[in-house]
This record gives sequence, C-alpha cells and structure tokens, in this order.
Amino acid sequence: MAEIELKTAPADFRFPTTNQTRHCFTRYIEYHKCVAAKGEETPDCHKFAKYYRSLCPGEWVEKWNEQRANGTFPGPL
Amino acid sequence: MSLACQIEGKFPFFTTLGGGGLKGGLHTTGAKWFMIESQRHSYHLVDPSPWPISGSLGALATTVGGVMYMHSFQGGATLLSLGLIFILYTMLVWWRDVLRESTLEGHHTKAVQLGPRYGSILFIVSEVMFLFAFFWASSHSSLAPTVEIGGIWPPKGIGVLDPWEIPFLNTPILPSSGAAVTWAHHAILAKKEKRAVLALVATVSLALVSTGFQGMEYYQAPSNISDSIYGSTFFLATGFHGFHVIIGTLFLIICGIRQYLGHLTKEHHVGFEAAAWYWHFVDVVRLFPFVSIYWWGGI
Repeated sequence: MAEIELKTAPADFRFPTTNQTRHCFTRYIEYHKCVAAKGEETPDCHKFAKYYRSLCPGEWVEKWNEQRANGTFPGPL
Repeated sequence: MSLACQIEGKFPFFTTLGGGGLKGGLHTTGAKWFMIESQRHSYHLVDPSPWPISGSLGALATTVGGVMYMHSFQGGATLLSLGLIFILYTMLVWWRDVLRESTLEGHHTKAVQLGPRYGSILFIVSEVMFLFAFFWASSHSSLAPTVEIGGIWPPKGIGVLDPWEIPFLNTPILPSSGAAVTWAHHAILAKKEKRAVLALVATVSLALVSTGFQGMEYYQAPSNISDSIYGSTFFLATGFHGFHVIIGTLFLIICGIRQYLGHLTKEHHVGFEAAAWYWHFVDVVRLFPFVSIYWWGGI
C-alpha cells in the first residue's frame, strides 16, 4: 500500500508572518495571472493552484471566483 | 506703564469713568478704579456666570438630539438644532464676557494671562493628537492594504486626485498665510496698528482662498467618503483639517476686528497669540496630508 504524501505550500520569504492570508491571496492571483498568460492547458500553473488550494479556505476561493465572474475582484489581476 | 494706564490711554471714556487720567497716579484714585485698585493681588476672582451651565445644557441637548436624529426619532432634528444654537449662543456671550473682563475691565494681568496661554497650548496639543489619529488610520489602511481591498492602494476602481494639480497648488497657500500672520504679529509689536490690520486681512484672504480651493477639490473629487476605506480615511483626515482651517480663519477674523477696534496692544494680545499658534498648527499640519495622503497615497 502506497503512502499518501501530505504537503502544503512551501515557506515563502515574502510572507514570514504566522498569518498567511496574504500568502494565500497572492498565490491565488499568481495562478490566475499564469493561466491568463499561458492558457489552462500548460502544467506550468499547476503548482500555484496547489499552493493556493492548500493555503486558502474554500469559502474565500468561492467568493473570489464569483467576484472574478462578476468583474468585481479587487486584486491586481 | 501699568495695565490700568494703558486702558485709560486706549479708551478715553474710562477716564471719565475712573477719573485720574494718565498723570493722575493710580493710588490716588484707587477707590474709583474699582476692582483693579481694591485688590492687593494680581489674580482675577471671577464673578458667578450662567454660561458653564448653559453650555452644559446645550451639550446635553446636542448629544441627545444628535442620537435621536440619527435614529430617526421624532423631534430629533429640532432638539439637535436647539442644542447647537444653545452652544453657539453660550460661546458668543461667554467670549463677550471674557473680552469685557480683559480689555475693558483690565482683569487680565500678566499672571492671569498665563492661564489662557497654557490653556491654548494644551488645547493645540490635544488637537495634534486628534489629527494624529486620522493620519494613523490612513497609514494603517494604506501601508498594508487588506486582502478585502485586493491588497493594493488606492483600491481598484477608486479614482484619486492628481496630487500635482489643486492639492499641490493649495499646499503653499496655508504656510504663506502663516507668514502673513507673523507679519501681523511684528506689526503689533512695533505698534503699527493699521499695518497689523492689513496683515491680518492678507492672512484671512489667503485662508479663504485655501478653503475655496479645498471646496473646489471636493466638488470635483472622483470619490466620496462612502467609497471604501480609501474614501473614509481620505475625507476624514482632509475634511477635519479643512474644518480646523475654517475655525482658525474665524479666530483670525475676530483678531482682525479686535485689532481694528484697538483692543490689541504691544504688551497685551493673548487672543492674537493664541490665534497665531493655532494657525501655525493648522498650516504645518497641511503638509502631512499632502505628502502622505495626496501624494504617497494617491500614486
């Protein structure tokens, strides 16, 4: 039986504080910037998706996805 | 020259009131110089006054009326207006009494003048703390913008003023007005009464120009106080500063009128000094919103 590997986003020196809110937010933005630049297909953006999904609470992501759909997302995309 | 003599020289009708005249020698006319000569100390023992209690009642009506008005209670607006009128009336008559006691009755000896001087300085210190809180709020919100506003400042979609247009034009006007009030002070010290009035007219004119520009700026502003934390902090800080400019302008207008009427002398012009200190506080404080809110916070 294979071991399940549990991993979160690696430590990022831009976000040294215990509160990782901004880390989550930045990774979410980096993912969507990456997709906008390279398209959905490339595997290059997968790592950003993994990072923000492990850092961000689900409700936040849902809210931001809605905001992006409505054109009201406040972040620098 | 003693204070009583100054008053006599300045206001001829006092000569008839008190007798004596400039060469009369004060101790010979002691009985006629009522309070000034009848007391052996230089402190002002005030008469009972109704204004503290009327001011308190006005403040109570304003507070209760304000709460009632903001919660849409019937009669809230009436009580609020009544309270504000009461406070304004109290300010008018209280200050009128102080002017009578100081300028006309001569109770404000050098020792007594220390009171309003310390009072004015402490008041200005408290005003510095008051405005400091708004700059703190602005810096707190803009130095590390929260995720809710996208982590950027100014927040997305908020239109900001170009700091190099009206804000930059308006910034040197208040310090210039501060220079003009220093000119007025020197004119008073040099006993150039007319020139002091002229200098105060220049001071007040510059103040009015500044308020006019601020009004224009608000009128054309691309955002308002309801537009996110940016609008809240921007209009709270700049609006309260503008309000202080208006208070300082009224203070200077009163000084100009009193200078015109000959109330201010080379030796005794505490009211003017307080207005000048207040005015320097207001004009120096203008530099902080310009640098941190308009310029740094708007680019």
